[in-house]
Amino acid sequence: MRRVAKLSAACIATAALALTATACGSTSSQNDSSSSASSGGGKGIKIGLAYDVGGRGDRSFNDSAARGADKAVKEFNGSIKELTAKPSDTEADREQRLTDLASAGYNPIVAVGFSYAASVDKVAKQFPKVNFGLIDSVATSPNVDSITFTEEQGSYLAGVAAALKTKKDHVGFIGGVDVPLIKKFEAGYVQGVHDTNAKVKVDVQYLTHGSDTSGFSSPDKGKAAAQGMLDNGADVIYSAAGSSGNGSIEAVHGAKGAWAIGVDSDQYNIPGLAAYKSSILTSMVKNVDVGVYDFIKSVHDGKPLTGNQVYSLAKNGVGLATSGGFIDDIKAQLDAAKKKIVDGTVKVKTAP
Amino acid sequence: MNKLTQRIDKERLLLGIAAPLLAIVAALVVTALVILATGKNPGSAFSDMVTYGSASDSQVYILNKATTYYLAGVSVAIGFRMNLFNIGVDGQYRIAAFFAAVLGGALTTPGWISIPLIILCAMATGALWAAIAGVLKVTRGVSEVISTIMLNSIATAIIAYLLQPGKLAELQSGGTVISTKPLPSSSYFFQINTGAAGELWGFIVIAVVVGVAYWFVLGRTRFGFDLRTVGQSESAAMASGVSVKKMIATSMVISGAVAGLIGMPTLLNDSHQFSNDFPTGIGFTGIAIALLGRNNPVGIALGALLWGFLERTTNHLEFEGYDKEILGVIQGVIVLCVVIAYELVGRYGLRRQQQRVGAELAAQAATTQKQEVA
Amino acid sequence: MANKDIDITVRTGTVHALCGENGAGKSTLMKILYGMQQPDEGTITVNGETVTFHNPADAIARGIGMVHQHFMLADNLTVLENVVLGAEKLYGIGAKARTKIKEISDAYGLNVRPDVLLEELGVADRQRVEILKVLYRGAKTLILDEPTAVLVPQEVDALFDNLRELKAEGLTVIFISHKLGEVLSVADEITVIRRGTTVGTVEPAGTTPKQLAELMVGSELPTPETQESTVTDVPLLKIDGLHLSQTDLDGVERVILDAISFTIHKGEVLGIAGVEGNGQSELVEAIMGIRDPDAGVITLDGTDISHAPTRNRREAGVGYIPEDRHRHGLLLEAPLWENRILGHVTEKPNSRGQLLDIKAARTDTERIIQAYDVRTPGIDVTAASLSGGNQQKLIVGREMSHAPKLLIAAHPTRGVDVGAQAAIWDHIREARREGLAVLLISADLDELIGLSDTLRVMYRGRLVADADPATITPEELGSAMTGAAAGHLEHTEDSAEDHEDDAR
Repeated sequence: MRRVAKLSAACIATAALALTATACGSTSSQNDSSSSASSGGGKGIKIGLAYDVGGRGDRSFNDSAARGADKAVKEFNGSIKELTAKPSDTEADREQRLTDLASAGYNPIVAVGFSYAASVDKVAKQFPKVNFGLIDSVATSPNVDSITFTEEQGSYLAGVAAALKTKKDHVGFIGGVDVPLIKKFEAGYVQGVHDTNAKVKVDVQYLTHGSDTSGFSSPDKGKAAAQGMLDNGADVIYSAAGSSGNGSIEAVHGAKGAWAIGVDSDQYNIPGLAAYKSSILTSMVKNVDVGVYDFIKSVHDGKPLTGNQVYSLAKNGVGLATSGGFIDDIKAQLDAAKKKIVDGTVKVKTAP
Repeated sequence: MNKLTQRIDKERLLLGIAAPLLAIVAALVVTALVILATGKNPGSAFSDMVTYGSASDSQVYILNKATTYYLAGVSVAIGFRMNLFNIGVDGQYRIAAFFAAVLGGALTTPGWISIPLIILCAMATGALWAAIAGVLKVTRGVSEVISTIMLNSIATAIIAYLLQPGKLAELQSGGTVISTKPLPSSSYFFQINTGAAGELWGFIVIAVVVGVAYWFVLGRTRFGFDLRTVGQSESAAMASGVSVKKMIATSMVISGAVAGLIGMPTLLNDSHQFSNDFPTGIGFTGIAIALLGRNNPVGIALGALLWGFLERTTNHLEFEGYDKEILGVIQGVIVLCVVIAYELVGRYGLRRQQQRVGAELAAQAATTQKQEVA
Repeated sequence: MANKDIDITVRTGTVHALCGENGAGKSTLMKILYGMQQPDEGTITVNGETVTFHNPADAIARGIGMVHQHFMLADNLTVLENVVLGAEKLYGIGAKARTKIKEISDAYGLNVRPDVLLEELGVADRQRVEILKVLYRGAKTLILDEPTAVLVPQEVDALFDNLRELKAEGLTVIFISHKLGEVLSVADEITVIRRGTTVGTVEPAGTTPKQLAELMVGSELPTPETQESTVTDVPLLKIDGLHLSQTDLDGVERVILDAISFTIHKGEVLGIAGVEGNGQSELVEAIMGIRDPDAGVITLDGTDISHAPTRNRREAGVGYIPEDRHRHGLLLEAPLWENRILGHVTEKPNSRGQLLDIKAARTDTERIIQAYDVRTPGIDVTAASLSGGNQQKLIVGREMSHAPKLLIAAHPTRGVDVGAQAAIWDHIREARREGLAVLLISADLDELIGLSDTLRVMYRGRLVADADPATITPEELGSAMTGAAAGHLEHTEDSAEDHEDDAR
């Protein structure tokens, strides 16, 4: 009897498996297109945004992309659909996110973050009529606009500012995850510091390593790392760590005379960080919003951008924010450094 | 007498099904309340989950995900059967996948040599990594929970150190993705093309084989019996002649070897390289799935499929405007409910069985007495 | 186990004994009386008042206290601290409590010294502390669960004197026991339980042990006596100079076994008497290979097995009936047929090569259940759902099914009803005729004397005395067990007390 019960359970399970394995029925996109046809979707441009881990409200990188899209929606009168990545995502989840957007009729679709590189390439091939924007990485499909920035150049200027502002000749750098993208920030920053004052010591710390991407979304880790650096004697800390940077800014605000350098957005003007703004020296602004806006506008105008758009210091794709006026006194030195990068006298390294 | 045996058995089966069912129903109720609290309609959310989850491409997605999850669940369950809490499955599969990817990228042999080599390399790496915790426990009495948590972090650090350009990895185009050398296409595992629904990973076959082997070894071999004995009562196992220490070390190694397989569907069927966005945390998912499946090979399969279904459909719930945190709520509630439900049903079952045995014996006694009188 | 239609009336100021085979429902009944379990039906009435006990605290509030079979005392505390622990509210923890303890001790002749550390006390003293603990909490009715199981005969007599003292002071005692002789000597009334139901209440006067036993099982009372000697001169198990010591947490080395030497021949039953905790369990574990001895040689049938793994010893023909069947003999949550495999997984019919032979194992389980009268509705129920006696029968059946050369039997009939006891003895005797050597350890002195061909007494890890089971009496054995006598015990016609004095 026992055996029979087990056997029949096994049979049922196999049958169930077989039933699913035949992949019967229509695909979800077919289901969706029928349902979205009825729902209409409103007028104007339908923008799909697939955020990286952290999403809208990270007061940094993702927010910057959101601003670009918001601006486009205001101007072109459309709608936005936003989806956000999880740290446990696999390729399939990212593909699903983009496919969901594309099959529901969103066009253009902006994939925010380098982890979408492979999935954008794959989904773009399935939806050749949809325009995709990819931030921070490069994809090869003809309907993809790869939007990249020269973070190392902006970070170089941040390094110059840090070296000029430090009183203890000791500064710090906090990276979210030790991926190549963030290493560009580190390389530029360290070079900027040392070109300005070779005596300044730079502490470098990454919050997480390798495939653990939680370093981009853990303010607690950022706070602990910044506190450690402050205790160690650093008085200017530059964080390129997504929303983890919020924690580091909070820690810096608690130390008298210390400065934080923000990243991606002009963090002085982010409402959520208003309490700490007196400690935000400047921000290495990465104008993701400009890239996103330019891309959406091009699609709206019927001339979609494709290929690789590099937003460099020369094109004002990156730069230092001046809100708060804390770096007004060193403007001359910063302008000089910028000029050297733009005219090529200084080559900024992309890897430390 | 025979009839009673049947009844008890049928009951046991019913009780076995009742627990997870109870858990899932309770989880649904709690989730519905949560959705209601966010001001949305839970009914349409559930119906959307069912429609979307039963679409053919969703089915393929679920099966692919379940393949990975199943291996994770089995790996954890092997430890559970021994009363070992192998939290280190997470680190074991990542470090195993990493070295297997490095080997796979370096191999230029034909596929029928490369693929088995890659899989063996992953199993060996996972086994070795788990063996550290096993040996520590046996020789020094270090709790495997503590040591495997530490080993997870060490695995992360080792991978981070080696996954650098110039060490064992290279920078991909675009300069943002860093990965091991991609496998040659000859080393790709076979896939089943289901047309518009996508590719079904061939590794599902290996997962089924692992499940059958798990069932067979545990239920049908001397080794499996010894392993279960240790899990049920260490003192009885020792008295019955099982070398408990040897069993602990061995089962840790086996658990690690299966853990080594977890990354293989992704590596051989999907990414074909180990990059810094290789999925993490599946070892912990495995714990939940092993709990859900009650360490039973079929149960784990159902748990893995359910997990895949939930991920697929809640991803889409976000698209429909529900909060994306719903997934975490459902998963957490299910695991919690499962643990509670098993405990409740288990106690109820034992009490019922004792009552039945008692009633049966009383009835037997009554008939013998009657016979004696007659 | 279910109880039904239990009717029992205990009069104030009496000793009321509760008898019954194991699994009859005594423990369940006690648990209900002490509030550890709730009845489905029926009422409990105390002093004319119907009460419901939800937990032991309710029972104590009604003046019902329990002395458990396994003492619940802390070794590293004094007697006073042990008594006061958890009842600090009653008389505080200082002088007032000490006075109260002395008062109770004197009133009932318990002879308890409040400031002695518990670890310095022997088993009998500890039991008196347990009784005092219950009285201290205001109990008027005491439930004693098999209180004599751990005592030697002299101590049993002392306990009974205490009980009579309690009775004289107007307290009520409910006394649970298997041992019919004891029950008859101390109780005022005896209630017999069978299969969860009260069978009847008898007066001890005018009742013989035989009648009582028949009431309990409805069959004749068995005797453990072995008729003819089957001892051969072929040595099977030879132990020579076995030594085992253990370092405790404080770093003090404690000798557990010292200079143990003996030989068991084919067809011989060697009985070891001793109060529990004098090294018997450790000796068994050393022979089974669960503990590794520091020195000494164990030879089984000519092969040195001093450090061989347990499995090899079992395969070589050592059967093992463990002292604690729940911890060492069974997988409680596994079905009976899996329990039949336990310990013999490498042997036929349980396996063929590396694979289990489930079909054969199940068939053989059915056979054991028939042959050993294991009362169960089937082989798929868990071991936990059987009563203690039936669990033991399964273990005995399993161990005897592999034709052992040597059987190590620790308390083989503990907690087993009288009928099953006889069956187990028969099985051992039968195997002994065919050349089985048996190492028997038991707290039941009648069993030891009746079954053994040779007797040894173990005291503080050493074999201190030997005796001829044909002539020795339980009382004489008892005095050696307390360390009062040593060497070869000769039976004298004097009383046991005199013998003890001589030994001193």
